[in-house]
Amino acid sequence: MRLAVILLATTLVACGTPEPPLVISALEVTKPVPGRDMSAGFFVLTNNTDAVISITAVSSPQFARVEIHETTLTEGVSRMREIDALEVPARGSVVLERGGKHLMLMQAREIGDVVTLQFVSGDAPVLSVDYVFPKDN
Amino acid sequence: MGPRNIIVAVALAIALAAGVFVAARNEAPVTLTSALALPVPKPVPAFSLLNQDGEPVDQSVFEGQWDLVFFGFTHCPDICPTTLQVLAAAKKALAEQGLETLPRIVLVSVDPERDSPEVLGQYIDYFGDGNLGLTGTLEEIRKLTGGLGIFFEKHAGDGENYSVDHSAAVLVIDPDGGFHSLFSGPHVVDNFVHDLPILMGDR
Repeated sequence: MRLAVILLATTLVACGTPEPPLVISALEVTKPVPGRDMSAGFFVLTNNTDAVISITAVSSPQFARVEIHETTLTEGVSRMREIDALEVPARGSVVLERGGKHLMLMQAREIGDVVTLQFVSGDAPVLSVDYVFPKDN
Repeated sequence: MGPRNIIVAVALAIALAAGVFVAARNEAPVTLTSALALPVPKPVPAFSLLNQDGEPVDQSVFEGQWDLVFFGFTHCPDICPTTLQVLAAAKKALAEQGLETLPRIVLVSVDPERDSPEVLGQYIDYFGDGNLGLTGTLEEIRKLTGGLGIFFEKHAGDGENYSVDHSAAVLVIDPDGGFHSLFSGPHVVDNFVHDLPILMGDR
């Protein structure tokens, strides 16, 4: 009986904290430069599942338009292009960073201390995260 | 010690001193880590543009101080603000190191359609005091960029939502208005902090 309780407890612990399929880390949203209405978003997305997760759209209540962009530097020339989707490999990560892939947040509405980002794969919402601007920013 | 030994000892001492001298010279921070200096500075080509206050300026605006010149546009959320932040941080670090003459940061717009002097002024002021913004007609901007080997091209988008491809280099213009050296992207604060005192001391 005691063994059964221990086993049950172990099982509950194992099941009680399922790994989230998609995790965001190192999130940073830049504040719009005065006079401009656009920001950039940088972060790391980690996929804990065995299948590729394709982020096809991102939205934010604080911006009328959000696009996934990629900056490349080839032969000294910087180019920025919209990309259709952000592929997060199975059991892997995708990095959005300065000078590389990033979110382009456009047509800012009223921005307070928080920017909310909602990630969509196909028709399904897969992740929502709040970014709080640092106090000294 | 015989005279022969004294000669050997003196010769050894001279050789050692010379060796130390050569080593010390080699250790001095005279090697550029990132920047490329032109063998001879090249005068900035003639142009007629507007500064951020809407005042007409020509190539003489580059005379009298060291300038760090970047070509970009204010509707650029990634590379342009990042580069200007790097330049501002480098300038701050050089000031803290006690560098007496600090370079000015200059943003030349490659998107005059959207970058009016007012828009440009608001933008560059965000990255510190004393910065210069240049905009104007596409034709006059091309006189400047063409003469300096800077490429830019509008990349079609829908309506106002377009991007501009552009050279990512930061050019260093000397106080005589000569294109002196350049930093290729991607830009790192430490590269400017290390190389600028060398470039600015080498005239």
